[in-house]
Amino acid sequence: MTDFLNYVQREWGTIFSYTLEHLQLVGIAIVIAILIGVPLGIYLTTNKYLAETILQVASIIITIPSIALFGIMIPVLSMIGQGIGFLPALIALVLYSQLPIIRNTYTAIQNVDPNIRDAAKGIGMTTFQRLTKVEIPNALPLIMAGVRTATVLNIGIGAIAAFIGSGGLGVLINSGISRGNSNMVLAGAVFVSLLALVADFILKFIQARITPKGIK
Amino acid sequence: MNAKKVTSYVIRLILWTLVIAFFFWAISENMFGKIFEEPGKFMELLGRHLELVSISAGLAILTSVPLGILITRPSFRRSEWLIVNIANLGQTIPSLAVLALAMGFLGIGLKAAIVALYIYSLLPILQNTIAGLDSVRPEMKDAAKGMGLTPAQVLFKIELPAAASSIIAGIRTAVVLNIGTAALAYLIGGGGLGVWIFTGIQLFDNQTLISGAVPVTLLAVLVDLLFRGIEYLLVPKGIRLARKSAMESV
Amino acid sequence: MIEFNDVTKIYGGDVKAIDDISMTVEDGEFVILLGPSGCGKTTLLRMVNQLESISQGDIKIQGQNVREMDKIKMRRNTGYVIQSNGLFPNMTIEDNTMIVPDLLGWDRKKKKDRFNYLMDLVGLNPDDYRKRFPHELSGGQQQRVGVARAMAADPPVMLMDEPFGALDPIIREKVQDEFLAIQKEVKKTILFVSHDIDEAVRMGDKIALLRDGKVQQFDRPSELLIRPNNDFVSDFVGKDRVLRSMSLYSVEDLVTTFGLKNKEDTITDTKEISIDTSLRIAISMLLNQEADQLVIVDRQGQAKGSLTFDLIEKFLHQEVKGA
Repeated sequence: MTDFLNYVQREWGTIFSYTLEHLQLVGIAIVIAILIGVPLGIYLTTNKYLAETILQVASIIITIPSIALFGIMIPVLSMIGQGIGFLPALIALVLYSQLPIIRNTYTAIQNVDPNIRDAAKGIGMTTFQRLTKVEIPNALPLIMAGVRTATVLNIGIGAIAAFIGSGGLGVLINSGISRGNSNMVLAGAVFVSLLALVADFILKFIQARITPKGIK
Repeated sequence: MNAKKVTSYVIRLILWTLVIAFFFWAISENMFGKIFEEPGKFMELLGRHLELVSISAGLAILTSVPLGILITRPSFRRSEWLIVNIANLGQTIPSLAVLALAMGFLGIGLKAAIVALYIYSLLPILQNTIAGLDSVRPEMKDAAKGMGLTPAQVLFKIELPAAASSIIAGIRTAVVLNIGTAALAYLIGGGGLGVWIFTGIQLFDNQTLISGAVPVTLLAVLVDLLFRGIEYLLVPKGIRLARKSAMESV
Repeated sequence: MIEFNDVTKIYGGDVKAIDDISMTVEDGEFVILLGPSGCGKTTLLRMVNQLESISQGDIKIQGQNVREMDKIKMRRNTGYVIQSNGLFPNMTIEDNTMIVPDLLGWDRKKKKDRFNYLMDLVGLNPDDYRKRFPHELSGGQQQRVGVARAMAADPPVMLMDEPFGALDPIIREKVQDEFLAIQKEVKKTILFVSHDIDEAVRMGDKIALLRDGKVQQFDRPSELLIRPNNDFVSDFVGKDRVLRSMSLYSVEDLVTTFGLKNKEDTITDTKEISIDTSLRIAISMLLNQEADQLVIVDRQGQAKGSLTFDLIEKFLHQEVKGA
């Protein structure tokens, strides 16, 4: 135990920079995933056939083991010279984020009380006004919950992405195993877990804050 | 047929084409060659993979379902929120971290891998068992009790049938995650199809890589489907109808 | 027979949900436990089948103290119906209905016969419903099945907790009428919780009106309406209680009281009223009518005389207030 603490103290700088690298990967992936998933989720509420198809596909994607997805992407992306590194990791994280984000957005918008929607129509709001003033604010907490699920998931998968050279805290686990340095492995495991727990906590807090008082 | 349906079919068609194109390409490049060159080795890795998953997930089911039942009994109700919160929190811990921690405590080998996979599978099953049993409406249990069903009869005749779909969904989630995590077991000496995936990555050997990665993917997707089928068969018809009418009334 | 002797229920050391209640429900009697929410009526009902414990006093069913009976056995021998959705969604209508006989180990033939009998009794075709599930049925049908299930093992005593409360008013009245007809046939001893004075007056042989865990009045509906014990009772039954009490009498009662004879010279331009009509409806018809009288006709269409406000008022004073 003291061994481990000494290691953390000594390697603090390295651990910190890996954490930043990890956050960078996950952060960029989540932003892209939101930019795709939220509009798509909203659009799908207008076409239930397409919604069924997309949600099915997203739920199949999420069952694919991450290391296997990385494996499948390597030869495919090698054709454009990007088999390993940041890009395949980013693509995988964006794909995995789609199910929680699309599904939650779709469900949230659909679950907005029809009476509220009717009332909004009744007072003469346009479709766009209805969306921005009524539906999205009411749906936001659930969308945020999807983002939180996706973020926690991505932090975990981001650690596995280190095996295809994307950097981040997974590197500690990877190199630790190959060098037989158990302190390094442990540091990787502990810090990636802490990162996930802290992210979960912060996003839960934000989720609570953005929930309109009336629908708590 | 309207435009919305057509869009949906077109998207479906495109996605299927992509999947077929991938397999066509992979086969034409002899990506699965490794499987045919070393069928014995492949069977051994697959067998080990299934062994890891079935032992760890089996033990997790045997632990979590009874535990979930116990926790939802009236005398343990007060501890429930604590357990539910621990389960929520525990599930944010990444799978790789669980494996790494298991290695830290138990060293390298099959046993450490099974323990890690077992622990990783406990929480989704526990969480869904509790959620499923909690979703049984209190008046239903009250009616059963009032008619003279014993607590065991209430559990087996009313609560478990109503909670079945949630419990099976939890088992499905756990097993599918387990299949993916078992692919990482190679790292701590657990074997399985992960051996070919990681060897392929390290040696830039696409043939070995794909011969490991695609079977693991198919395994996960098929097991997911299998459990959805089981869920359909095991969940009583009346409960399905009840859920359907509940969803329609939303 | 159900006897309550000084029954008290205490929550959390000092809150009395039921405060020293003593009353007796005779065999074959239909007693309504009536009161506002929080008055303790449901608690009292649930103490009978031991879903709530009894803090002090005794409850006896057929002379046996419920506390000394085996809970499970006693519940199987007591019908229990709750407000809504007490049917088990995973079981077919037949399995739902026959759950207690099943627990009691009846053979298949006996169960099947009983199921057919009960379905006929509640007005559902046994073969149409046998294999269906609760969620395929309407609210009214579900509640009929709930009643059939409670009667499955032919229990002498039935406990009903606002069984028709979730139904919409029109269906509720229909189901209430059907249940009254069933009760006429089976003569169960019934405790029935309600918060609805109209339902209570309509259905009960007797009403126990509760407030804060105490019985305010335990009487026949007409007594409760006409001679309320205290302000709470008269407020609860409503300012229109006299009018409400009129629904308990029919035109025939009035004909009998005044010994009205057949009358040949009919008045042609006046509407007729059947002797089966309740006095409450008769009053409303008179109010609706331009004329100040209606011709009473019996079931054979024979005119019996004319009905006027004066006559009803006379009946009210003589029969109702003076009784």
